[in-house]
Amino acid sequence: MNTLSPTRTGTGASRAGALAGPDPRPGIFDELSKRELRRAMLSGIAIPGYQVPYGSREMPVARGWGSGGLQATLSLVCDEDQLKVIDQGEDAGVNASNLRRLITEHTGAGEETDTRAADIIQSRHRIPEQPLTDGQILVLQVPNAEPLFRIVQEMDEQRRMHAEADYAKMWVWLYEDIVHNGLITAAAGYPVLVEGRYVMTPSPIPRWDVPKMNDSDAITILSAGREKRLFAVPPHTRVVPLTFDDRPFEVEYTPGTACRLCGSDDTYLVEEPGENGAPGTWSCSDTDFCTRRRTGDAPADVAGQPVELARAALRRATREQEETS
Amino acid sequence: MITPAPAPASAAAVHPEEPAWLELDQLTERLNLAVDRAMGEAGLWAPMLAARAVRQAEGDPTEAAHLLRAHRAALPRLAVSVPVATSELRVVRRISSAFRNPPGGQILGRTVDYAGRLLDLLPEDEGRAHVTDEPLAPADDGHLHHDHDHDHEHSADPVAVERVPGNVLAILREMGLVAPLPERPDDPEPYDITRRPARPGAPRSAWLQTMARGDTGSLVHLWWYGCDWRPDHEIPGELRHGALPVRIAHPHTGKPVTVAEVRVSEVESFYNVPRAAAQRHLGVGYGICFGHNERKSIAMAGLDLALAHYDADSELHHDVLLTLDGLDSTGYAQHLKLPHHVEYRSVLDRAEAAGQDANPPGETA
Repeated sequence: MNTLSPTRTGTGASRAGALAGPDPRPGIFDELSKRELRRAMLSGIAIPGYQVPYGSREMPVARGWGSGGLQATLSLVCDEDQLKVIDQGEDAGVNASNLRRLITEHTGAGEETDTRAADIIQSRHRIPEQPLTDGQILVLQVPNAEPLFRIVQEMDEQRRMHAEADYAKMWVWLYEDIVHNGLITAAAGYPVLVEGRYVMTPSPIPRWDVPKMNDSDAITILSAGREKRLFAVPPHTRVVPLTFDDRPFEVEYTPGTACRLCGSDDTYLVEEPGENGAPGTWSCSDTDFCTRRRTGDAPADVAGQPVELARAALRRATREQEETS
Repeated sequence: MITPAPAPASAAAVHPEEPAWLELDQLTERLNLAVDRAMGEAGLWAPMLAARAVRQAEGDPTEAAHLLRAHRAALPRLAVSVPVATSELRVVRRISSAFRNPPGGQILGRTVDYAGRLLDLLPEDEGRAHVTDEPLAPADDGHLHHDHDHDHEHSADPVAVERVPGNVLAILREMGLVAPLPERPDDPEPYDITRRPARPGAPRSAWLQTMARGDTGSLVHLWWYGCDWRPDHEIPGELRHGALPVRIAHPHTGKPVTVAEVRVSEVESFYNVPRAAAQRHLGVGYGICFGHNERKSIAMAGLDLALAHYDADSELHHDVLLTLDGLDSTGYAQHLKLPHHVEYRSVLDRAEAAGQDANPPGETA
């Protein structure tokens, strides 16, 4: 029985092709790994907010530089897709540009900066101001996947708490924060409750972006490469920031500030300190949206919710101020 | 007789601004420990690729390991090798600090252990003239010949000694000092840390794999830091460096065929940890990694001993499984260089709000 079948005589490489599926381009991520990621993402979508472990592969970027997001994006992206990559809301940042180039070079996807035209948006620390639509996928890079890590360190205990929805310690932690500091000091990566079941970190997006995750038309995938787990928020899922009835959720807002470029006061603004004691200036962190606002190509009223929350907080603060004075 | 080789035309002299290209064999032969370390931390045996990686990473073994791992991650798995016993190890170095003269003998091999740490201050051309005709390590008779003429023959290969001595562990087992090998008809498949994230509670195979490709510095630190669990140190019963065959089952006959050979450093350490039960057996710790990296396998064996004596939810298990990977720790450290101003703005907002809350505007500050 020594007749060698043609497949048996194939070289290692060609047999590898038969095992791992077609790979038209020299890959940075093989088909079997992509399949594992897709399965994990489907599990995540089926159980919103649940952390699904996966065997994170080593990527051509350092862990902490979006290796988890990169694996998710590479598993999702198709040749006809338009890909947008942002870091801190910017398309042009060095890291965002490098990631975008890496992905488009190794897939057939096209580079895109316009949020409206992108099929997949990989982002670090921001959700675009432009409301996402049905069919879009937002991939968020996650440095610390576990929202309970400040409260309990043992991974078994964290998993038990999630499994039993035992978040009492989380509530106590938030309550103690108010007792010590007068308010909840959680800044970026504010803990949220997903569909009334799992407490989740929304990745270190600012609180400004948290309401955008609620009832979104798009799919959100959150992937942590170093911690080897991902979780997801399917479309039209309730995402509620954890807070108390008498402590409304507050987003970042500095009264009187507006973008120095487009004049917006209803977007997430970041400060650029002035030199030699000059007052700082503010600008939009979402550069695509800022550019389109300037050309009149952006909606005049976006998302609504963050800025309403901000203004509500401001009105409340002013009222309290009036009451005390 | 040594005839000084003509000094090779220095590329630096031709292009003063462009240093000479580093050839791969220069890296594998002259910077072999760096190449070995990169392979060990990558978990990939591929000396030529590793040499490229070290060159591309400008000599940084951690960065080189990252290049190799990213490359490896994209390769399909063709086969799973058949387990080999390390009693087959063809050693080029083998020492036992447990016995004066273990069966098979002490084989010192190539090491810098016993040389005085004197910085080589020979003029460059003199040094080059010596090494072009000389083996790097002392000859078998232990003396160097660069400072005198001689007419006796030297083996061209400094690692010509090849032996397959029995394991010291087997001797101790025969003496009844170490627990006999358990009957394991159900020998479980090892945990695969490259496919399943290893978390506390993972079996020993997971922690051994994690340590075998862990960052050398982190591993040595953790072992050194964790020393306080024992009043004195463990004894490496045996430290070996040599070649192991890699075998896979032949696709037709099903019989094992040797397809490659890897070099490993292996350590078996012993320690008698007193326990409540009347235990008469020595504890055994095991360390192994690709290439020549003795301190890594020593630290690994020491930690393996310690891990066996702690519960799965202990800090040591957590630290070994989750903090030793060089890609993880350096990646996280490096990511701090990325812009964080969106997050920072959010933090400042809370700090300001907390400040206002502490000093409401209506009150005097």
